[in-house]
Amino acid sequence: MEVRYRITKPIRLEVNFRISGLTALLGRSGEGKTTTLKALAGLIPARGSPYGGLRPEARPIGYLPQHHALFPHMTALANVAFPLQNLPPKTRKARALALLERFGLGALAGARPSELSGGQRQRVALARALARNPELLLLDEPTASLDREAREDIGDFLASLAEEEKTRILVATHDPELAQSAHWVVVLEKNRVVQEGPPSEVFTRPASLNVARLVGFSNLFPGQVSGFQDGYLLVETVAGTLWVKSEPLAPGTPVTLGVRPEEVLIVRKDRPLRVALRHNVIAGTIRRLRLQGPYVKAEFSGPLELKILLPRHVQDRLKLSPGQAVEVTLKPAYLQLFSSESFSSLS
Amino acid sequence: MREALTLSFLLALSSTAVLLVVGGALAYSLRKPFPGKRIVESILLLPIALPPTVLGFYLLILLGPAGPIQKVIGVPLAFTFPGMLLGATLFSFPFAFTAFREAFLSLDEDLLETARTLGAGRLRIWREIILPLVWPGLLSGALLAFAHTLGEFGVVLMVGGNIPGKTQVASTYIYDLVENLEFKEANKASALMLVLAFSLIFLTRTLEERWRSVTASRNPSASR
Repeated sequence: MEVRYRITKPIRLEVNFRISGLTALLGRSGEGKTTTLKALAGLIPARGSPYGGLRPEARPIGYLPQHHALFPHMTALANVAFPLQNLPPKTRKARALALLERFGLGALAGARPSELSGGQRQRVALARALARNPELLLLDEPTASLDREAREDIGDFLASLAEEEKTRILVATHDPELAQSAHWVVVLEKNRVVQEGPPSEVFTRPASLNVARLVGFSNLFPGQVSGFQDGYLLVETVAGTLWVKSEPLAPGTPVTLGVRPEEVLIVRKDRPLRVALRHNVIAGTIRRLRLQGPYVKAEFSGPLELKILLPRHVQDRLKLSPGQAVEVTLKPAYLQLFSSESFSSLS
Repeated sequence: MREALTLSFLLALSSTAVLLVVGGALAYSLRKPFPGKRIVESILLLPIALPPTVLGFYLLILLGPAGPIQKVIGVPLAFTFPGMLLGATLFSFPFAFTAFREAFLSLDEDLLETARTLGAGRLRIWREIILPLVWPGLLSGALLAFAHTLGEFGVVLMVGGNIPGKTQVASTYIYDLVENLEFKEANKASALMLVLAFSLIFLTRTLEERWRSVTASRNPSASR
């Protein structure tokens, strides 16, 4: 489904993008994600397709605002039955109950929204939004009101929902983790689409430094191309010459290199490095270590400051401690090159 | 006593009915921002700060013989029930309006928008979402206005003139009794008014609490 919308109020916004299966509309807050969803739902004046000119009640969509908007004076069952008004009362109730049961909420049919957890409320709202078999489901920041555990599951849940229901889901989010579970990612920046594609592409080859930051390249540093050898680009940096898997570029070109914290590798003295990894070894010390869920977040300080994310089992083996001297290596294929923008735009 | 009390009830009931319709409509339409909103609201809330005699005085000039209203409709409204109704309604307006406004302001816009995306037209949204959520607020505002009109003294005295059997209400009746040193009768009437006032305020508070518990799960929407 191709979306083309032009909005002037409350903000000026012009967006063209594709929706395919579970599509993540990724962007920081205030970049127009909610506005785009509301325009598609017909809730703000906008021109475009699909559904341009139709009243919200006539659009084949389901809409879930950030806090789900369950009707607080109705039970979960009555909420789900609300959109089924055209059915006879008995069928209506049975269908609403079936929907609730599908989402594992049959036992809570009689509960009011205030008696449900964040995740349960979200599922009731999803059941309600799906009741009219919408062609497109719009979800605004579905991770915002969930606890950590539920947050981790929601991406996979929505992806399989899109597949099972054969429905399109557009989810506005600032959460790269959720976007990774999507079939298609659309990045919104400064009220326009700056990149779209499958997550494997957007997450590994972000189109700009801002997109790079948004999708998790938190280590970014400047360099200058010095040559091309054996299929690798040679880039001079404060940490010496780094080998980067890339097309050739003219020597002297200023570039920015980016690497994800989970893709910075710690060199193990007891294991020989493969050839490709031998070039990009940097020596330094571990400055800080912090536990973050199942990961250990480390700060590496050497010629470069790098953030490192290690699975806990790796730390259990390496037993890193603050102040310890280590060597890290940056795999040439994991180093992302940003040639179009200068380093000064980073600050 | 019975006559004055009946008139008080009639006055309070009619002004509450007017307030529900006019105040309710105004509160609903004023819930969204627009230029000059603060000025409009200040004018509507003015009777809170105005001495009843000032309001009564202006109304008397407006409604009295040779006043502008008489020129339009042919009869003066001063010292009549409709005149008193106008005065009492204006005077109780801020109380009802504030409660109504509170009720409509607490309506989550997301609920109304989502209801539309679920296929509900405006009438259905009013019937099934707005009214069920705001009725305790509307009712508590109405009860407060009713109680306030029942106890009103200054404006009804100025505009109504305290004519026994015609414009004398419970409050002005008690005033008359005290002036004539009929303390026994005044005591009886005052006790009755005290019980009435307490019951009404108690009912209002009960409704307010119930209303808060229903709307407690509401979440404000902050993103755009």
